[in-house]
Amino acid sequence: MAKLRVVHYINQFFAQIGGEEKADYPAELRVGEVVGPGMALMQKFGDEAEIVATVVCGDSYFNENLDKATADILEMVASQKPDVFVAGPAFNAGRYGVACGTIAAAVQEKLGIPAVTGMYVENPGADMFKTKVYIVSTKNSAAGMRDAVAKLAPLALKLGKGEPIGASVEEGYIPNGVRVNFFEKERGSARAVKMLIKKLAGKPFETEFPMPVFDRVAPNPAVKDMAHAKIALVTSGGIVPKGNPDHIESSSASHYGEYDITGVMDLTADTFETAHGGYDPVYANADADRVLPVDVLRDMEKEGKIGSLHHLYYATVGNGTAVASAKKFAAEFAQKLKADGVDAVILTST
Amino acid sequence: MTGGYILTNNPLVTERLGPDVPVEYLQCSYKSLLEAARDRIHLGARLLSHPLSGSVKPGETPYKSVILTKGKGDVDEQSLELIENAILACAKFQQRCDRYPPSVDLDCRLIDWTLLEGALASVIL
Amino acid sequence: MKLEIGNIFIKDIQFAAEAKVADGVLYVDKAALEKVVLEDETIKSVSFDIAKPGESVRITPVKDVIEPRVKVEGPGGIFPGIIAKVDTVGSGKTHVLKGMAVVTAGKIVGFQEGVIDMSGPGAKYTPFSETLNLVMVCEPVEGLKQHDYEKAVRLAGFRVAVALGELGRDVTPDETKVYETCGMKEGIEKYPNLPRVAYVQMLQSQGLLHDTYVYGVDAKKTLSTILWPTETMDGAIVSGNCVSACDKNPTYVHENNPVVEDLFAQHGKTLNFVCQIITNENVYLADKQRSSDWTAKMCRLLDLDGVIVSQEGFGNPDTDLIMNCKKIEAQGVKTVIITDEYAGRDGKSQSLADADPAADAVVTGGNANEVIVLPKMDKVIGTLDYVNKIAGASAETLQPDGSLVVELQVITGATNETGFIKLSAR
Repeated sequence: MAKLRVVHYINQFFAQIGGEEKADYPAELRVGEVVGPGMALMQKFGDEAEIVATVVCGDSYFNENLDKATADILEMVASQKPDVFVAGPAFNAGRYGVACGTIAAAVQEKLGIPAVTGMYVENPGADMFKTKVYIVSTKNSAAGMRDAVAKLAPLALKLGKGEPIGASVEEGYIPNGVRVNFFEKERGSARAVKMLIKKLAGKPFETEFPMPVFDRVAPNPAVKDMAHAKIALVTSGGIVPKGNPDHIESSSASHYGEYDITGVMDLTADTFETAHGGYDPVYANADADRVLPVDVLRDMEKEGKIGSLHHLYYATVGNGTAVASAKKFAAEFAQKLKADGVDAVILTST
Repeated sequence: MTGGYILTNNPLVTERLGPDVPVEYLQCSYKSLLEAARDRIHLGARLLSHPLSGSVKPGETPYKSVILTKGKGDVDEQSLELIENAILACAKFQQRCDRYPPSVDLDCRLIDWTLLEGALASVIL
Repeated sequence: MKLEIGNIFIKDIQFAAEAKVADGVLYVDKAALEKVVLEDETIKSVSFDIAKPGESVRITPVKDVIEPRVKVEGPGGIFPGIIAKVDTVGSGKTHVLKGMAVVTAGKIVGFQEGVIDMSGPGAKYTPFSETLNLVMVCEPVEGLKQHDYEKAVRLAGFRVAVALGELGRDVTPDETKVYETCGMKEGIEKYPNLPRVAYVQMLQSQGLLHDTYVYGVDAKKTLSTILWPTETMDGAIVSGNCVSACDKNPTYVHENNPVVEDLFAQHGKTLNFVCQIITNENVYLADKQRSSDWTAKMCRLLDLDGVIVSQEGFGNPDTDLIMNCKKIEAQGVKTVIITDEYAGRDGKSQSLADADPAADAVVTGGNANEVIVLPKMDKVIGTLDYVNKIAGASAETLQPDGSLVVELQVITGATNETGFIKLSAR
């Protein structure tokens, strides 16, 4: 059987171009070259696969030129017709992790080529992309390269061959929310007894089914005096000034926007729109007040039901946006809202 | 039954219960019955029986009976959580019962009735 | 409380004129067993068949699986309150026909599941592909109601198992195991430094085809209570549960409860196995509250340090499981819970119908919605009505070559929630 063709993506650091000072290194395709961690991968691949090309890209360059870098790299990858695409491993390097996740997901989605990457579980890229591509769980530094490659290479081979992928504990990837059956070595009762003994001894143990985590926030006490309260609007429904000046992504938003509505009495089809993907935007675009009720609040302001409507609103897109990102956005603009003396916020979704 | 009633889409339930037990019959699907219960919970009713009673999965039986209180007022969070989870669970199963022959359909009615009967035994009438 | 279990290894089952156990072979006198079954006038006829591991045989729809046992010494008999008198069991000596099972099959209701494949890919998902199975299919008399039929088949299975167990009374066991636990004070004195651990077993108790019996009492009418862990080895708990094949506990699982066995394996070494607590899974929410309150209360009263909680069934019991777990943890008693999952065919749905952060130690028996292809078998014991006409009603399920595309749900014991099997999921 012919060897599987692999394209490998790494950053400027692992390509030994340089550290942070070289992070603006633009994307580059090196056909026929095996670079840095690629050597270790090749060793593990044996005669089953070979790296036919390596893409090198600086972390700053990738993240600051997201669209162009992604498009360029996709073209480079496509030109090599690989059977499987491997990015990283990125360990705990945040921007490298996001780059690996972004490009691996794009290769898989846009080119239909299976992709895999690897990173430390706390790398922000892990949370953002673990449901989109297989991410092998690695240690938090490059000292864990051997261990990372030992999991990455066999998973890449399986993906390249189109073989079924086992459960996360078997393959070593970060759990991706898809439950996969497999046979354990011991029966369930024996595992339960062992788990209990560990739990009783205060030793670490690993549950086989993590309970879904709901971030329950206790509501604040009700606003006593609405007639004098300053109310702000915040939305995850993607309402932005026409043209989407901050380029908020239609899904998996990486940022939020702050917009001034001083003097705006009504959102119209000519002035505002939604950036949100994943639902039919016709009604939101025809009248954005349906998602961000500026018109109604202006009425209430006039009627004296509320003190005033804050002149700034904050908007992002909820569609597929990582909970961690959403938390980060809110933590940031909540401080601004507080500093501006806002008493209460009306939060709307799509 | 003090302050409670049965919401059901199972004709056998109305047939089996005497006139002194309040029953409301809806001609609808399993899921719609759960949704009707949810709507009432939003209006203040509380669940007295578990909406996923029985190991016969959603999709395997068209019938469902639940016991609710007639109460109005604040939403009971536990009831809401149970009913929402039950509605969500419907999506996990393949729809098979629409292909059942009539005899099996009668079995489904009977099982739903016996599950309800078990719960009614615990209700103070 | 001390019970000696003498295992007689059964290597083959044969039909013969004289019933006996000799050199590891169980000789079955069909005519005699038929009489035992037909004692019940509601059963019109019965047929017996033998299914052996590795054969191209499919048994379906399976109702119960039972292991033949006989009480050789000590008070009471097997299946107290049902077959034997209601004396408390769990002490003395019991002989077991090991390696075989009585399987009752037959359609009680039209949508009944329960498949045991003796070979092929389905076999590795059911523990009962590894036992020599004496299968009995009972036909009811005309017009018999479903619940009377269920009861008749349930009891006939126990009578047959007891009759077969009796054949092992005077046979010298190939292996003897001793199980012993002690009273409260004695346990504390004997194992002052070991954590006190109990097993909380939740019993299916929702209604017709969903019942469990304890010493003959319908579990839905019981309050949570305490057993010596050896009582269940003598058949104190039996199954009347015909639905949810993958995660119901056949009587065989009660007799060989794996949590009881594995806690015994650690008893006196890493923990002190105090007792078994049984509780139910009723439909009425106030019953759930009462039962879980009582379970938690007993955990505290017994000064336990930890418990393992096992579940039975889908949906409704998830709520009992989480209530038990939450309330027991709130008493300062550590829990590990055993469940299975319904995560959808693609594995992406929420696995349980209830959840709580207190349940931080979970063992899973796998996703029951996972799809498996069961190839055609040469022989079917029972009827394929269900799998062909009901589960197989959709075009994609019944393949042209006779194989079936089904969910693990239909396979007896596939995702057992007492941890009887090795299947799991992540």
